[in-house]
Amino acid sequence: MEVITRDRPAFANVQVKMQAGDKIIAESDAMASMSTSIVMNTRWNGGFVGAVLRKLFGGETLFVNEFVASEDSELIITQPFPGDIECMDLNGTSLFLQPGAYLASEPGVKMGVSWAGFASWIGGEGLFRLKVSGTGKVWFGAYGGIFVKEITGPYVVDTGHLVAYEPTIQMKVGMAGGLFSSFFSKEGLVSRVSGPGRIYLQSRSIDGLATWTNRHLWR
Amino acid sequence: MQYEILARPASSVVKVSMNQGEHLTCEVGAMVAMSTRMTVETTTQKKGASGGGIMKGLKRLFAGESLFINHFTAQSDGQYIILGPTMMGDVVHHRLDNATLIVQGGSWLASDPDIEIDASFQGLGKAFFSGEGAFWVKCSGSGDLFMNSFGAIYPVEVDGDYIVDTGHIVAFEDTLNFNVQKAGASWIGSFLGGEGLVCRFQGKGIVYCQSHNPSSFGSSLGPSLKPRQS
Repeated sequence: MEVITRDRPAFANVQVKMQAGDKIIAESDAMASMSTSIVMNTRWNGGFVGAVLRKLFGGETLFVNEFVASEDSELIITQPFPGDIECMDLNGTSLFLQPGAYLASEPGVKMGVSWAGFASWIGGEGLFRLKVSGTGKVWFGAYGGIFVKEITGPYVVDTGHLVAYEPTIQMKVGMAGGLFSSFFSKEGLVSRVSGPGRIYLQSRSIDGLATWTNRHLWR
Repeated sequence: MQYEILARPASSVVKVSMNQGEHLTCEVGAMVAMSTRMTVETTTQKKGASGGGIMKGLKRLFAGESLFINHFTAQSDGQYIILGPTMMGDVVHHRLDNATLIVQGGSWLASDPDIEIDASFQGLGKAFFSGEGAFWVKCSGSGDLFMNSFGAIYPVEVDGDYIVDTGHIVAFEDTLNFNVQKAGASWIGSFLGGEGLVCRFQGKGIVYCQSHNPSSFGSSLGPSLKPRQS
């Protein structure tokens, strides 16, 4: 299986060149086009209970699609919003993904929900988070460009811009400055993360787009 | 006539350079800028055609295009026009050589005046189930044609059959037939899996696909938008 992420960073989409027997799992509605020699099967996103938990708490869909090739074929996978797509090769390691970031994965990758804590909930990101682990590649997307940051000490991120982070990262929610500046600077709450580990940030946020669009609607 | 596609692929525009007496037929509202020795004429039909114009214009309305189309004519050599679509996305050029291309409503940007532009009825069933409109823009003849997309455009040379999800079709050659069918092995799975129905192309020819689906973008942003105030 050969995978190319093309049209980066504005309209990243994933071209998967498959051979007989190759299998890939993708988020619901992620398929843009494919060869007819690929069979698509829909299944619960990691078992019934797991799927319901992920839907309720991880902001993910109930179902995922499994694509299996019966001969040399091509599959194009995409995300709903314009932006970049990153790939991470898991090697017994794991990665936390923010709601909606998951795009596709190889069959060796498991999806689960883990407790994110009250800090995450106050930051508007939910009590639970999506955890991918196992062996194989996982693809995740963002609205806007993706920056990878290797952090060793403390670091501050706006909560809406965090896409993914390694499990070694500790996260606390705090105010951007004092009470006054946090409120009036519109930075509000931020995530104070500390390493060592890797975090993935997106250069724009869907919430930001919605706020901006709302200001220009129906005036 | 020469063309250059600029600012690809995020916010593409096409710059068309024309010599005296050359024409270009464009979607209304697509002109971003042009040189001063250009004239524009707005009609409901192909340049120079007579009769039946209003009907063609009305049919185009159903196809998601405008009732009117603009014809630009260069009054001297070395003139140019820059055309840009509304949405973020790419612009692609296709050369028609006594052939027909079916373009999804809204993706037609401009074409050579020798190309006949007509709304084509694809059948109610296909319209209803494919999530696309009932009318598509049928472009036939010979000359240059420009189309736009939401996202990047990738051409697929079909020889046999190929599946494209509804919402990702930009255009296809009429040497291809398409049917609407379920995406997966089972009906229930196809709908639960969010793919629903897909278009299956058969034959030999090119289908232009767009990397992003306007409806998927709309449904991921929509819930965060405020309702219209009456």
